[in-house]
Amino acid sequence: MKTLNILLCLLCFSMLSHGQQRFLTKQGYTSFFSSSPMEDIKADNNQVLSIIDTSTGTIAISILMKSFQFEKSLMQEHFNENYVESDKYPKAVFKGQIANFEGLNNNEQEININGNITIHGVTKQIQTTAKIIRTDKNISLKGKFPIEVADFDIEIPSVVVNNIAKTIEVTFELDHKPYNK
Amino acid sequence: MIKKTKIKITIFLLSTALVILFINIAIYNKPHINVAKSTPDISLVSQKLLNDFENDENLANSKYLEQIIQVTGKISELSKTKENLVVTLNNDNSLGSVMCHLSVEESKKAKGLKIGENITLKGVCTGYLMDVILIKCVIIN
Repeated sequence: MKTLNILLCLLCFSMLSHGQQRFLTKQGYTSFFSSSPMEDIKADNNQVLSIIDTSTGTIAISILMKSFQFEKSLMQEHFNENYVESDKYPKAVFKGQIANFEGLNNNEQEININGNITIHGVTKQIQTTAKIIRTDKNISLKGKFPIEVADFDIEIPSVVVNNIAKTIEVTFELDHKPYNK
Repeated sequence: MIKKTKIKITIFLLSTALVILFINIAIYNKPHINVAKSTPDISLVSQKLLNDFENDENLANSKYLEQIIQVTGKISELSKTKENLVVTLNNDNSLGSVMCHLSVEESKKAKGLKIGENITLKGVCTGYLMDVILIKCVIIN
């Protein structure tokens, strides 16, 4: 176990010594939008953590469920307590791969991202496209994708079944900066 | 006589329905928590808050999540998002920090904050990623 720890430390240091291999944001934005005949529901989150490893083009995103802010506090309460059960599952996580990462330049391009998203303790594979701009000082990612509420074992009570869409649109805007710490 | 009773019953039913409707509307429109006007549930220094999350995240989650926390610490970074100001509290030697997202109104008021200064804020704790996150923060001192 100790050797493993030392190896891990060494690995971390060797990664650091390569310089700016990681780009990161702690203030990424994500929102979701549900449109139904009864009402539209939107929630914003400005505390998204996203890390891109530029040597491999992998991306890791962590989202605190309790950071989602709704227009109505009652919606927020229901979301946290009944639907995503944020006491039990405080985070949503995405781990994925940005396709053709090496070939990117300063111009805005559309790329594919493949990976696994975990919400409410359930992991699903997703594929989406995003707009990416990569420079030496910044990697910006923007996009949106749909998710099915039922895919993540989230039960919507029949009373409000007309108020909440079955497919939710997730939007993200992540502005990564080089990370040197 | 029967007619009168009928009218009375109708009025009674109607008013009950109205009361229920108003209560429902009130619940539906329940306002968000007002951090500025609330007394904090917990007061502590930023390093203690960070240590608690670093040592046992689950325990810290059950203790701090959705609580109004008053935290004191040294400003290590000031940054801006699209709409608000973020004050990062950190001791020089630790990797993690406490990130306080000021409310939009508070961001407009906050002026003259300097890196290295001590500050006390209160806000709602939403959890721990690389840092402990507090949102809707207002500056106390």
